[in-house]
Amino acid sequence: MQHFVLEQALNYLLDQGAADLGALNGKTLHFALEDLALEVNFICTNSRIFVTADTTGASDVDIKLKSSVFLALLQGEELTELLRQDKIIIHGDVKIAQLLVDLLQQIDIDFEEILSKYTGDIIAYQVGKLAKTFKKSQNPLETLKDELTTLLVAPSKSNLFKHKGV
Amino acid sequence: MDKTTHFGFQDVATNDKQGLVRGVFDSVASKYDLMNDVLSFGAHRLWKRYTIASSNVKTGDKVLDIAGGTGDLAIEFRKKVGTSGQVVLSDINAAMLGEGRKNLINKGVFGVEFIQLNAQKIPFADNTFDCVSIAFGLRNVTDKNQAISEMHRVLKPGGCLLILEFSKTDSELLKKFYDFYSFNVMPKLGGIIADDEESYQYLAESIRKHPDQETLKTMVLDAGFGFCEYHNLSGGIVALHKGIKI
Ligand SMILES: C[S@@+](CC[C@H](N)C(=O)[O-])C[C@H]1O[C@@H](n2cnc3c(N)ncnc32)[C@H](O)[C@@H]1O
Repeated sequence: MQHFVLEQALNYLLDQGAADLGALNGKTLHFALEDLALEVNFICTNSRIFVTADTTGASDVDIKLKSSVFLALLQGEELTELLRQDKIIIHGDVKIAQLLVDLLQQIDIDFEEILSKYTGDIIAYQVGKLAKTFKKSQNPLETLKDELTTLLVAPSKSNLFKHKGV
Repeated sequence: MDKTTHFGFQDVATNDKQGLVRGVFDSVASKYDLMNDVLSFGAHRLWKRYTIASSNVKTGDKVLDIAGGTGDLAIEFRKKVGTSGQVVLSDINAAMLGEGRKNLINKGVFGVEFIQLNAQKIPFADNTFDCVSIAFGLRNVTDKNQAISEMHRVLKPGGCLLILEFSKTDSELLKKFYDFYSFNVMPKLGGIIADDEESYQYLAESIRKHPDQETLKTMVLDAGFGFCEYHNLSGGIVALHKGIKI
């Protein structure tokens, strides 16, 4: 459940033509936030991305970093610079890792719109909560980034998943 | 001696199970949708909506819904794939497929293909579909491993399998309520509304016999899927397993 929104957001981006899977197609990237023992696989295949907590299968690229570094990355910090400072460990093709980071950095989209289709259920409930946060916020895109980040690093703290189960 | 399998809590000859299951769904077909709404308090719609939202299906995709019954998932997939895509609604039972056809016409949904098939032997070529789904169907299938292997075979590399099924809740309180409800209330309601207490007794029993979340996940991985994760819905009363063919 925790990765649902991230998966939706990434695929929305691809569907809208706002990004191209290109060289990522066919690759599995394993992302580990060391300090939180949180691991996610991004499986880029069949022109879409699956985000899964099942990290047992083989991956092409392994990315290890701390949650604070991950936040910095999402806020636009250069991957190469963080690599130079040894704040990120990458096994595999750095160019592929860069492509995924580019995608993650682009998730500046209207969540309300993506999820508005799923009205009347728990997802709409979550979107409603998020929409309220949007209204209060000065910059909705920043709120969205914060939400996504919270979601990825500490799903239980995210507004989106405060309410467990359907 | 014949090999045996379970039909609800009874042991029956493996060869007999399919016919017995057919009897159940022949009997409940015409009241199926109403009973689903009543028995699950409408929650089955939310579980299905979550399944569709998790599918990652997009315009132009080919989708096979197995044990699709009255077509709830097929209707939503049809909207997602658009005119360039393909949705096949399949079921082993002609009466259920007939109800599905009526339901789609009533809802003004066209362009879905119907096919009668057994999940254990899917009459499509390897690597055909972007998504294969089965909702509340797998527990009725005699050889589940065979069925999951078939689903794997007909999926394209990168294709996604969705299994929505009753599962195991680890909340003691929920379990107590659920046990009481499904063994005492559900069959009685089945008797009153669909005039068929026995079929709803089978439904309750078949749920208890179905593999739990971790066992089903292992079955999916053993069938060749590269990844599988599950999401518990309604406290684990239902789980959605999602497998990716690599
Ligand atoms: C509980 S209904 C589910 C219908 C629908 N998917 C839904 O979620 O409302 C189970 C369906 O599984 C079908 N079924 C049972 N065994 C099957 C098999 N071996 N292959 C395909 N379908 C099967 C039954 O005919 C029945 O329509």
